[in-house]
Amino acid sequence: MSNAIIPLLLDSLASAALIFFAAVGLTLVFSVLRVLNVAHGSLYSIGGYVAASICLFIASRQLNPYLSFLALLFSAVGVAAIFGPLIERGLVRWTYGKSEAVQILITFGLFLILEDLQRVIFGVQSFYEDAPMRLLGTTSIGGVVYLNYQILLIAMALLVVVGLRLLINHTRLGRLITAVVADREMAQSIGIDTNRIFILAFSLGVFLAALGGALATPTSGIAPGLGADTMVLAFAVAAIGGLGRIEGAALASLIVGLARVLAIYLAPSLDAVAPYAAMLVVLLIRPYGLFGSVTARRI
Amino acid sequence: MTSRGMSIIVARCLSSFERLFRLDRGLPRSNVRLVVDGLAGALAIGIVAATPVAAQEKPSTLGLGIFTFTSGPAAAYGMPGKNAADLMIDEINAKGGIGGVPVSATYVDEAQGAQGVIAEYRRLAGDAKNQVMIAALSSANCLALAPLAEQLEVPTVGWNCDTHQLLMDGKSKYVFRPSGNTVPEFIAYAIYLLDRKPDVKTVAIINPDYAFGHDAAKIFTAALKALKPDVEIVAELYPKLGSPNYQTEISRLSTARPDVVFSNLWGADLENFVRQAAPRGIFTSSQVILALGETVLQRVPLPDGVIVGVLGDGWWMSPDAKAKPETVKFAEAYKARFGEYPVFPSIKMANALIYVKAAYDTAMQKNGGKWPTRAELAAAMKGSKVETLTGTAQTRADNDGLVDQIVGVTIKTPAQQLPMIGDMVRYKGDSLMPQAGQDPLAWIATLKPEFAKSLPKPGSYK
Repeated sequence: MSNAIIPLLLDSLASAALIFFAAVGLTLVFSVLRVLNVAHGSLYSIGGYVAASICLFIASRQLNPYLSFLALLFSAVGVAAIFGPLIERGLVRWTYGKSEAVQILITFGLFLILEDLQRVIFGVQSFYEDAPMRLLGTTSIGGVVYLNYQILLIAMALLVVVGLRLLINHTRLGRLITAVVADREMAQSIGIDTNRIFILAFSLGVFLAALGGALATPTSGIAPGLGADTMVLAFAVAAIGGLGRIEGAALASLIVGLARVLAIYLAPSLDAVAPYAAMLVVLLIRPYGLFGSVTARRI
Repeated sequence: MTSRGMSIIVARCLSSFERLFRLDRGLPRSNVRLVVDGLAGALAIGIVAATPVAAQEKPSTLGLGIFTFTSGPAAAYGMPGKNAADLMIDEINAKGGIGGVPVSATYVDEAQGAQGVIAEYRRLAGDAKNQVMIAALSSANCLALAPLAEQLEVPTVGWNCDTHQLLMDGKSKYVFRPSGNTVPEFIAYAIYLLDRKPDVKTVAIINPDYAFGHDAAKIFTAALKALKPDVEIVAELYPKLGSPNYQTEISRLSTARPDVVFSNLWGADLENFVRQAAPRGIFTSSQVILALGETVLQRVPLPDGVIVGVLGDGWWMSPDAKAKPETVKFAEAYKARFGEYPVFPSIKMANALIYVKAAYDTAMQKNGGKWPTRAELAAAMKGSKVETLTGTAQTRADNDGLVDQIVGVTIKTPAQQLPMIGDMVRYKGDSLMPQAGQDPLAWIATLKPEFAKSLPKPGSYK
């Protein structure tokens, strides 16, 4: 029995970890800026492309292969440092206070631009660089060989949940973000530089998206179209967890991961529809998501 | 132009105007698209109707509409096809073109989806200089374009249409497939597997989730069950086409512990699957069959002993291919220009262009050297037998092609840096095909183990 359950649980956790990275940035940005960033998926794939390019460069120059782990992290930092302030100041800030339709249209336009930009810069062929995966080797659990990198991903996802909670609850920046989330006008009136908070929060969201893409690269291929697929899944997770809730995103990722894995193990024909069936069930029971509510704004 | 064609024009135009007059009553955007499509269709048919006389004059260039994937995960398979087309067209033009007319190609990216592909087909068909379409790569697009080809009366050569459903009704006049279909392609793997591993008991399947994947699974399973009824299918997985991550599917395959893992994943999907499955031991715990494995031999490290094939005879290193100077020249020119040797999609495309050129030669021979009409060209394709780079493409009465099937296993040789295909067998094209009009699955169910015994054995093709 345990031979059947352990692989199922491990696969669910590994799948949930990848899904969580795709969704958490989206939910964070929504909680602070109240903007649903449709271009979030593109930032995920840009993170993947940049990380893969750097790892390929490291391999081509025969540098220490362990540098590829640093490349995963710093590619996300680089993408966030460039795209975060640029998009927030250049585009997103003009949508504050506008209707959701305007926000979605503008960020959808950005999504189209970023998708074409990726085609121009990285081409249309698939990218793949698996050095970090190969370096960590494998482990046999319950008779199934797993990549140690998959286990690292689970640990990284947990680290991000705990890190974000610590950031928000126990740092000055976190308290400022909480104040802006609770009441933007009041925060402004007591002297909080909300513009700065918006730039930081948006850049953090971009960082999490790019980190998700970068961390996925060693076990997945990257090709045009990944951004759109990621976005749809991230929306499903955000809807299940309740838009704007970090713990909600974590729990929703687990639900979606488990639904998908159960489908692959027990009813493979339902594989593609499983995440959205899970979303449907949750929203029928709790229309604002597991952690969502009609009025209260929390992070 | 037949009265049927005229009535289609009138019907499409009336339908479009009817929709147009409803525009000011809040027509949804999808209907606006239908209006545009309707008018484009009528316009295309109108132009086609107006051009047969002009088409008999030699044009300044011969246009070909070539449909393949040039972007997205499927481009890993589609681009070698485009590369081969570029190379072949340059070679044809260097020798004076076709009938003295230089050839030029317009490429259509199939990644845009069926609706865009159909619109592009209509647009290209509306231009009289585009006499032939080489379409398409995706079986789904082939099925979508086939009725249009018949409607517009444009000779359409399915360079990579594998689905056996394409020509099943046997009524096609303008759609041709000068290559094999899913029936001989996947029966060949079942026979080869049973010859190589006669004690196989359990099989797991991981194929892409669309017609090609499901058809292949059905045919492979039916052939196995007919030839060895005690074989059990222990897992059938159909991941989404273009899926970048197969880790859960690999775990599922591991827990099923099958003797054999069969897959017809292709393009970047296949590359991703191999890269993810190899370190997790799938290739050591099971006999793996990668039906399109030859396409990734130069890109990912495949271990020895994987059963691979070329869905036809398009292996540039086969004994027949190596014996043809033009094939060796093509392979070397391809390597020099694109940095890789051709893979079987490249050979399929090159063979499709050879097929088209042969049809022009035949049609012009028949009509006294005049430039052929589309109808004359289609007539020349029917029943033709064309020498290709790697064998022979014979067109049956139902327009389906008969080509041989090559299957083997990956081996490394001291002479080659890359894995090669060894222990090969070459099954005759007609030996694995049902008769025209016969239901393929019903025919497969009639196969007996004696049938497999009568066929050549692994290692016999040297």
